[in-house]
Amino acid sequence: MWLSGGFIFRRGTSRYHKLDPRVKLLISALMFVTTLIVRSVFQLVIVLAFMVAVAAIATVLRRVARTMVLTATFSAFIFIINIVITRNLETSALYASRFVAIVVSTSLFFITTSPDELEQVMKMFRLPRDVVFAFVTAVRFIPVMMLDALQIMDAQKSRGLELEKGNFLRRIRNLVPILIPLVVNAVVRSGELAEAMESRAYGAVPRPTSLAVYRARTTDRVVAVFAVLTFAFAAYSFYFLLPTFLP
Amino acid sequence: MIEFRDVAFIHDNGVKALDRVTLKVDAGETIAIVGENGAGKTTLVKHVTGLLKPTSGMVLVDGIDTRTTSTATLSRKVGVAFQNPDHQLFSESVKEEMAFALRNFGFPPHLVEQRISWGLQLFGLEEYRESSPLVLSGGEKKRLTLACILAWDPAVVILDEPTVGQDAIQKERLAGTIRMLGSTGKTVVVVSHDIEFLWPLQPRVVVMKSGHIVADGPAAELMAKKEMLESARVAQPQLVSFYQALAKRPGSPFVDALEARRWIEGGQR
Amino acid sequence: MVDLLELDKLSFRYPDAPRKAVVDFDLTVGEGEVLVLAGPSGCGKSTLLRAINGLIPHMYTGDYSGDVRVAGSSVRTSPMRDLAQTVGFLFQNPENQIFMFTVERDIAFGLENLGVPRPEMRKRVNEAISLLGIEDLSQRAPHELSDGQKQRVALAGVLAMRPRLIILDEPTSLLDPKTAMELVDLVARLRKEMGTTFVIVEHRLDLLVKVADRIVVMNAGAKVLDGTPRDVLFGEDADGYGVSVPVVTRVQKMLSRGGLAPDDRLLSAAELASIVGGEGA
Repeated sequence: MWLSGGFIFRRGTSRYHKLDPRVKLLISALMFVTTLIVRSVFQLVIVLAFMVAVAAIATVLRRVARTMVLTATFSAFIFIINIVITRNLETSALYASRFVAIVVSTSLFFITTSPDELEQVMKMFRLPRDVVFAFVTAVRFIPVMMLDALQIMDAQKSRGLELEKGNFLRRIRNLVPILIPLVVNAVVRSGELAEAMESRAYGAVPRPTSLAVYRARTTDRVVAVFAVLTFAFAAYSFYFLLPTFLP
Repeated sequence: MIEFRDVAFIHDNGVKALDRVTLKVDAGETIAIVGENGAGKTTLVKHVTGLLKPTSGMVLVDGIDTRTTSTATLSRKVGVAFQNPDHQLFSESVKEEMAFALRNFGFPPHLVEQRISWGLQLFGLEEYRESSPLVLSGGEKKRLTLACILAWDPAVVILDEPTVGQDAIQKERLAGTIRMLGSTGKTVVVVSHDIEFLWPLQPRVVVMKSGHIVADGPAAELMAKKEMLESARVAQPQLVSFYQALAKRPGSPFVDALEARRWIEGGQR
Repeated sequence: MVDLLELDKLSFRYPDAPRKAVVDFDLTVGEGEVLVLAGPSGCGKSTLLRAINGLIPHMYTGDYSGDVRVAGSSVRTSPMRDLAQTVGFLFQNPENQIFMFTVERDIAFGLENLGVPRPEMRKRVNEAISLLGIEDLSQRAPHELSDGQKQRVALAGVLAMRPRLIILDEPTSLLDPKTAMELVDLVARLRKEMGTTFVIVEHRLDLLVKVADRIVVMNAGAKVLDGTPRDVLFGEDADGYGVSVPVVTRVQKMLSRGGLAPDDRLLSAAELASIVGGEGA
């Protein structure tokens, strides 16, 4: 559930969504790098605040906020383990919150970029056609597989399978009647997809053409430049300026 | 046996799938639920075993409230044959597959053995006892899922679109099975849009449209109501269309549609 | 009429299979014909279809003898990329033939694979979309669509390749009767407007009888009946092969034996009633 809320694309109409996917990738990548550069929890909080602001502009604030909260509970583990090992409050807090920031920056990219845009980006990075195709098809079928899983659970519950009951071991055992049909269906599905691919001439030419066009607009260029400048400023501030003013 | 009391069901995304559904099915009845895809037939069926809980109103199965009972418990009384057998087959052998539900429901080992043999015999699957269920043909898989259900002897059997992808011979066999279930006192619910398949069975018919029940009565009566069927996008059985057209003709050699029907169906036997 | 499709003593056995799936099959289909292929489950229909569009032998190997010729070229020696442009295949499950996240992109899939230049692609995609009336679906994601809509999308993807022959594998199995009728009407329209030839595998003959020129019945891999719908459905053997003879046709058969109805063509319920009801009105 957390995974789906944090990483599955949903259509949006904000200006952010309409940006060229390369720019969105750039922004998230810069955020990512920034979280690695910061030296204190205070600085990281600033970065997180910035991410929240961008999320608000992209109208995905609620999802990002939820991702943040859910990831935070997980990162509490990281915090505890670090405390135990290093006994340093400051660095432990830094690692834990850095984890949240990393997840959020990646999440921001995936929830605002459609699989088709992802495909374009992958093609631009000259990834092999088969890899790109496998990726796009996999993403396309995620909702389908999720639905399959639900239907399988319904069918097995109707045969007396109690998924909620039992100790840990029993619950793992009870997943077998869910996982096997899921896997079998996935295999059958791949077979049918292969037939359909062949029947629509997949692989006929080494470099397929593309219906979609992605041309960078002025807006995209401006935003990209702005993002790089902001990053440069932030990196400089965090690394050099602020530590001299604050702990 | 099954009772829906003013049930409404709203999906997470706000879509109302069931609206003011009130229905009572007595033990031993055979009923057919018809309607176009999306009318709410499968949603209705899922409420019977508690896979879905009503947003308002309540569903009672043999007096038990589905809202407070688990699907596994309700399934002991209500067996559902879903449309896609590939959503449930997973065991190493057909006999293990049949044992799955029986063990879940707490049947003792010797009884499990007995029921397995009985079920395999009944559906002509004895030769596949040790085979993997995944290598069976489509028709055989459907028979296997039915065998699995009957093995635990539920009082109610629900069939969700059982005729999809079946050829004429398989449909004949299926019709025979439904009649057999009815004659052994089971309550049978068939969800189907195959009206030609349902017509000879002459069940009680419940017509659904956009989450409502728009008609509920004997097949002979309901299938004659052309406008109602049109608006629910349900096909009219060809024979009924024929009888109606016949009855309208002046100088018809038959006195009325009913007599035409007796003559024709008498000849069909 | 030129024969678009020719099966010449086709036999095929899957590797490790004890029996042949298709046995000595002869068939000719003319351009613009709508042929319905029926037969009990497991009779080899799926195998036959795949031998027509080239999946057998290009994707599935086995014991292959005889020949299949589409527009004069042997399927065995033509590469899939050429066959894909002449023969379109609409598989039974619409879900598993839609690859892309956006409908429009998926319709272009085959054309992208063939390296068709963008302007031509755009034209063909728009053409396919308008033929199927799915303009409002073109930007949607496939998992948001109903089964009937998915099927239209998949068919659009096939039509974009402009095939001369389209194979439909049990197209109505997931559809309710009204939606199924819409599909049948679509087939009739495509045949009329584009001259497309159709080979349709189907159990629900009552729906297809309107549009079929010919019915071929298969059993255990061999062709057992081949003729006009009237000839096949009126024949004595149809029932024996598990063919779903439409109810009205059964009644017509019964009545014709009693001299109350003609037996030279298939009648609809209304037509039958009007004839049996006697002259007048």
